[in-house]
Amino acid sequence: MTSTAVDADALARCADEPIAVPGAVQPHGVLLAVREPGLDVVVASANAAALFGRPVRGATLDELLDAAEAERLRAGLADELAEVNPLRVTVGGEDVDLVLHRADGLLLTEWEPVRGAAQAGPEWHRRLPTVLQRLSAATTLGQLGEVLARDVRAVTGFDRVMVYRFDRAWNGEVIAEDRRADLEPFLGLWFPASDIPAQARALYATNWMRLIPDARYERVPLEPPVAPGSGRPLDLSGAMLRSVSPVHLEYLANMGVAASMSISLIDRGVLWGLIACHHYAGPNRPSYTDRVAAEFLGRTASLLLPTLGDAGEQAGVVEVAQRQAELAAAIGRTPRTPAAALTGGEVTALDLLPADGAAVRLGGRLHLLGTTPPADRVLPLVTALRAAGVTATDSVGRVVPGAADLAGTASGVLLAEVAGGRDDFVAWFRPETLREVTWGGNPYTSKTAQTDAGPRLSPRRSFAAWSETVRETSRPWLAHEVAAAGRLAALLTEAAVNRASEDNRLAGALQRTLLLDRLPEVPGVDLAARYLPSQEDVVGGDWYDLVPLPGGRISIVLGDVAGHGLAAAAITAQLRHALRAHLLRAPGPGAALDGLNEVIGALLPGELATAVVAELDPATGEVVIASAGHLPVLHATAGAAAFLHEGRGPALGLLDVAGYRETRLRLAGDDRLLLFSDGLVERGPGGLDAGLAALRGAVAAGPVPPKALLDAVLATLDPPGTDDITLLAVART
Amino acid sequence: MLFDVQRTTVAGRPALTVRGELDIATAPQLAEAAEAVFAGSPAALVVDLTPTEFLDSSGARSLFRLARRAADEGVAFHVVAPRSNRPIRLPIDLMELDSVMPIVNSAGELPAAAVGREGT
Repeated sequence: MTSTAVDADALARCADEPIAVPGAVQPHGVLLAVREPGLDVVVASANAAALFGRPVRGATLDELLDAAEAERLRAGLADELAEVNPLRVTVGGEDVDLVLHRADGLLLTEWEPVRGAAQAGPEWHRRLPTVLQRLSAATTLGQLGEVLARDVRAVTGFDRVMVYRFDRAWNGEVIAEDRRADLEPFLGLWFPASDIPAQARALYATNWMRLIPDARYERVPLEPPVAPGSGRPLDLSGAMLRSVSPVHLEYLANMGVAASMSISLIDRGVLWGLIACHHYAGPNRPSYTDRVAAEFLGRTASLLLPTLGDAGEQAGVVEVAQRQAELAAAIGRTPRTPAAALTGGEVTALDLLPADGAAVRLGGRLHLLGTTPPADRVLPLVTALRAAGVTATDSVGRVVPGAADLAGTASGVLLAEVAGGRDDFVAWFRPETLREVTWGGNPYTSKTAQTDAGPRLSPRRSFAAWSETVRETSRPWLAHEVAAAGRLAALLTEAAVNRASEDNRLAGALQRTLLLDRLPEVPGVDLAARYLPSQEDVVGGDWYDLVPLPGGRISIVLGDVAGHGLAAAAITAQLRHALRAHLLRAPGPGAALDGLNEVIGALLPGELATAVVAELDPATGEVVIASAGHLPVLHATAGAAAFLHEGRGPALGLLDVAGYRETRLRLAGDDRLLLFSDGLVERGPGGLDAGLAALRGAVAAGPVPPKALLDAVLATLDPPGTDDITLLAVART
Repeated sequence: MLFDVQRTTVAGRPALTVRGELDIATAPQLAEAAEAVFAGSPAALVVDLTPTEFLDSSGARSLFRLARRAADEGVAFHVVAPRSNRPIRLPIDLMELDSVMPIVNSAGELPAAAVGREGT
């Protein structure tokens, strides 16, 4: 077994330890469990007879108290027990504080002699209003802690009172301390989470106060060990006399602590920290009343925790909500350009929450804000986090080992994905914080000791301060920050969906104007057209046109603008109308394309389109063809087909002056011309070459009439619907 | 099919090697990667399409825009597209992209002695 396994085993054993049902109490009082309403004693601590001067089992409390006290007790049972506690009674001539609570269906009575208890005296209690005022006047955790430590020490008389706060891993940091002047300070020390095991923390979240007046006490067993009725040892989780774990006593002894007390600090139901009190000079037992006063301070401080500036998990919640509203408003004002709204305004995505850098990727474009990893590392990092299913980490190297070198800018990454299939996201980055942690003793030294029952935890013997530097960890992302990031991403997703559906509606409308409702009747010409929109529900950049020219000729146009969507559809509309104008004016298709090329160069720099124009004279069958970077026109004759590779020039937009050449042919008999867009041929198996060959084969083998020919071509090639597809066929009649 | 743009070095020049299909869906990634290279003010930029499997008009447009950007910034720009890579070379030739950017058949055809301002 490795040492780690031993340790884990011992820790598990410790977690199993029945701290709520130890079957024993501490000796500074007596516990009697009685059955109501007879108040007959069914379980008693073994020291009961000594206090009462007689055996108590089988007796009733009426027999153990005088008549008047018994009367007060019975009257109190009808009330809230907390209101009754403590009931000052006299037992064997001694003043005793009687404290009541119910558990396991029994009334648990705890009898604590007043003699031997330290009394803070009435003076302190008269000062309570001032103390409460000081507590509520604290504006920082540090101030609150100082008031708590000082006044809890004043009322309880412990040598040292520490206020400590748990981090997320349940390590405790001493944030305030009041101590006897000769003691070394513990302020700033960290106590490892293993010092207070999980089941103890669970108990502390409901039970506000624990006291061990003498850490070297002998436990006093309960008799009988198993409570009649329940068949289990008595549940002492609410008992002030509960005997604690021997492991804990060993721990106190190792620290030289002779007496201890702790009070929970609970923030909205969650254990936030502790007021931990140590006494070194010897036993220390503050009176019940003084303990209640100290607990009252702890409860009051707990209520104040959420109102302080550094409110732990809730830190900055108001500011983050405010920024989120501002960003949402900015996106709402310019829903079409959310990236500009998030990166260009007075409040940017980086301002949403405390972070050193942010990356906004929208529409596939990356924008960086603040201090971030290099641009080319951001997308791979985000992709790797997505693959690991992680959206928030304060130590990226532990999730993506290859990104550990980014700890200087992005040890912490908070990722919010924007849906829409374009790998869009918003991410925030925090650098590693080099944190010096001073532990109260080395938390990594072995803590296990072999016993008959197997390995058991043996609390650290060395309390020499031990520091380590915690690297490659950033400030953690708080739950409300993660939620705010998610809401921003959801907003962006919604904006993108709205935009896409609106774009599609607009682009669809635009494209319907580009495609002809009905082909014009041109005497002597048999013309067919097929347009298949992309199955991916985006509008493509294909267009076709038939432009009747003076003198009976007709220009047949097929073009394709690079890109998809509304932008491409808008450019397509402009090109179509510009080409129409140039076709009507220019001496031939080559010159018309020259004109169109100039339009793009001047008005649409950076855009790219291809187009082919076939100008047919139906009377003679003469055709003049010019192509701007487009796929070749297919010339079909009886039983054969050939691509025309002449009459070409570069794609539209590439050159300022293109100079398109023309080629001529005569359309005779059953000859047909086929114009088509790349969607028909480029995506099949074997690529463009194979697509063109398949098209030529299908046309050569296909029927003569243009409409039937196009249907046959589509059936044979069966192109995938990833792009839009346009086909035109023309023949003479 | 997986698409990926990697920063590489071709004939001693900063390069982007494009794998998979360069089309409307992936062209923005090439543009983004190029943006990162331009940010380092390189003397030269090579786009290596040797392992590229598909090129559509949107992919061609992204090359065109890179060529313009490179010209504006005085960056020597080349595209490597082997004639044997027909699915890439055919659309390049049809659109006559070589009218606006030097397209070479292999890294060996790149003019020698490009003095890079940075190594990668």
